Amino acid sequence: MSSLTLSTLTAWVRNSAVYRSIIRHGVADTNRNRSLVIFENLFLHVHPVKVREKTLKFTHTFWLGGITMVATFVLFATGILLMFYYHPSVPQAYRDMKELMFVVDNGVFYRNMHRWAAHLMVLGAMLHMLRVFYHRAYRPPRQFNWVVGVVLLLITLLLSYTGYLLPWDQLAFWGVSVGTNMAKEAPLIGKPLRFLLLGGNIVSENALLRFYVLHCVVLPAVLMLFISVHIWRIRKDGGVQGPPEKDPGEEVEP
Amino acid sequence: MLDETADNLSELTSGEESRRQFLTKLGLGACAVTGLGAALTVADFLEPKVLFEPPTSFRAGTIADFPEGTVRFNQEQKVYIVGGAAGIFAMSAVCTHLGCITRPMSGEPGIACPCHGSKFDLEGNVTHGPAPHPLPWLEVKADAAGNLTVDTSVVIPHGKALKA
Amino acid sequence: MSQTPQTFAPVESSDPMVVPKRVAMVRPDTRPTIRRREEKWVMTFPHLIIREVIMFMLVVIGLAVVALLFNAPLEGLANPLETPNPSKAPWYFLGLQELLHYFPPVVAGVVIPGLVVVALVVIPYARINLVAGPLWSGDRKRLTTGITAVTGVLVILFSTFQCWAIVVPSLIVAAAMFLARSEGSGGSFRRFLALVTLPEWVMTWFVLVAAILTIIGTFFRGPGWSLVWPWNMYPPA
Repeated sequence: MSSLTLSTLTAWVRNSAVYRSIIRHGVADTNRNRSLVIFENLFLHVHPVKVREKTLKFTHTFWLGGITMVATFVLFATGILLMFYYHPSVPQAYRDMKELMFVVDNGVFYRNMHRWAAHLMVLGAMLHMLRVFYHRAYRPPRQFNWVVGVVLLLITLLLSYTGYLLPWDQLAFWGVSVGTNMAKEAPLIGKPLRFLLLGGNIVSENALLRFYVLHCVVLPAVLMLFISVHIWRIRKDGGVQGPPEKDPGEEVEP
Repeated sequence: MLDETADNLSELTSGEESRRQFLTKLGLGACAVTGLGAALTVADFLEPKVLFEPPTSFRAGTIADFPEGTVRFNQEQKVYIVGGAAGIFAMSAVCTHLGCITRPMSGEPGIACPCHGSKFDLEGNVTHGPAPHPLPWLEVKADAAGNLTVDTSVVIPHGKALKA
Repeated sequence: MSQTPQTFAPVESSDPMVVPKRVAMVRPDTRPTIRRREEKWVMTFPHLIIREVIMFMLVVIGLAVVALLFNAPLEGLANPLETPNPSKAPWYFLGLQELLHYFPPVVAGVVIPGLVVVALVVIPYARINLVAGPLWSGDRKRLTTGITAVTGVLVILFSTFQCWAIVVPSLIVAAAMFLARSEGSGGSFRRFLALVTLPEWVMTWFVLVAAILTIIGTFFRGPGWSLVWPWNMYPPA
């Protein structure tokens, strides 16, 4: 029996029946196995097995969509952590903020991370949209994915806005008061919509609970749905589209 | 329209075709009615039935408390009670622009909104943008002893001050 | 099997019966993976995956560093009776809040955002966005009058509301558009300007206006939404 080294340990794990029941392909040293890495994995198979080499260049997309996506992952992770300490009621919500900041270990860190990742997500989505516009990547066959992107931007803004109320501090209360009064000005539907959204005529405990449910359940679910469509369509529409070709003759056919 | 690739579908006679179309419409209609019903019950469910909001009418002292020239800001009710030249009137302190709470200006007579810079005179008229309407006047009633009651849910036209 | 294996030699011929050719039938509604020129393809694993992992790590590390250095703001307990002064929305709505200072709420709060969303949605369906060439490649006389007219209307419209934050960028963009008119001459910047299409000009105008409004709303608005320097935003009470 050989002595225990990292490589023998790895080999032992890779050859074990349990590992082979989870991952059926061998080491990714051949192109066949590298293909299997992608399409035998639920999470990686949104990718094609091969990609055009030039799409890997940083300036092709500036990774803006990817950065927004990472911010979203961070928001899910930190958001779930914050939910363990948060009660959507008045004034307990504000006390929970204080508890997070002064009592809970790493509470400040995760709250900060959630807040800054939210800003990054909004900024990233906006810059991603501008990048796609200036690269003219909205052109056929990507029209529909552009529209999905606009919906995603709106969901992102709504998520950020509903989250803004949750700390129940002065900033939150008046930011949301002003915003929902804006909705009141919409003809016909404005006032009933605001009443339903706030669960009353003023920003109160009902509004806090409603914004909490929207922020933690409804909007994230809708976001995941549209992100799935968005990413699936990137692949169906022929991969990421970078800057337009210098020579129009080399453009995509349709 | 029938799918051409469907197997084993014999030619339909004209009667069968219209029956099939009718049943399709009936089925789609049932789905639509169900969807609409679900949407309405959900909307009804989401509409709050009991609100725990502050009462709309409150006591505001007596007539004698408001000689000409007094402006009292009742912060709790978001109302100004003003003893004007023509009598006593109450006025909402909620900016007609986007609902911020206005405040009497320090130094000069008038009312200012901290959010978007609207200014009002002491009768509630807009003296500086962006507020679209003057501050609404609210109903003030006095009983025989001169005790004032303000009802914030009743808006009265400007100029109808309570004669002292 | 005693036959000696046949030796293969490459055959070059333009006759499709000898050398088969690849033919692609491309209908306008087909998927876009077919290109005129073959490109170099690489395996997704490891080339793309490794880059994604690095990007993921960099963003998370960056966010962690920012979270360690800067605390998220938290003010006093919400008080419905006391409006803070100034009272501001999150930064991405401050452009809108700045508009609310100039226009009635129904315009700034409903009409303008609604128009922006509609304009964004129709971008890929509007023909102009699909075929547009450099701005001045069209009918130059009509363009001159068109740009002058649109700029004039915008400037007059927003001047009546004294909304200089929109008037000035509109004038700058219009000036840049005319600067692009002298194509072929001038430095590299002017040659770059000459290639900009009409949709790109419009988008640039929109981004410029939105950015200026947001910056003013964020850094230059103090108590009572009055213009202040950033360091005077919260005057001592």
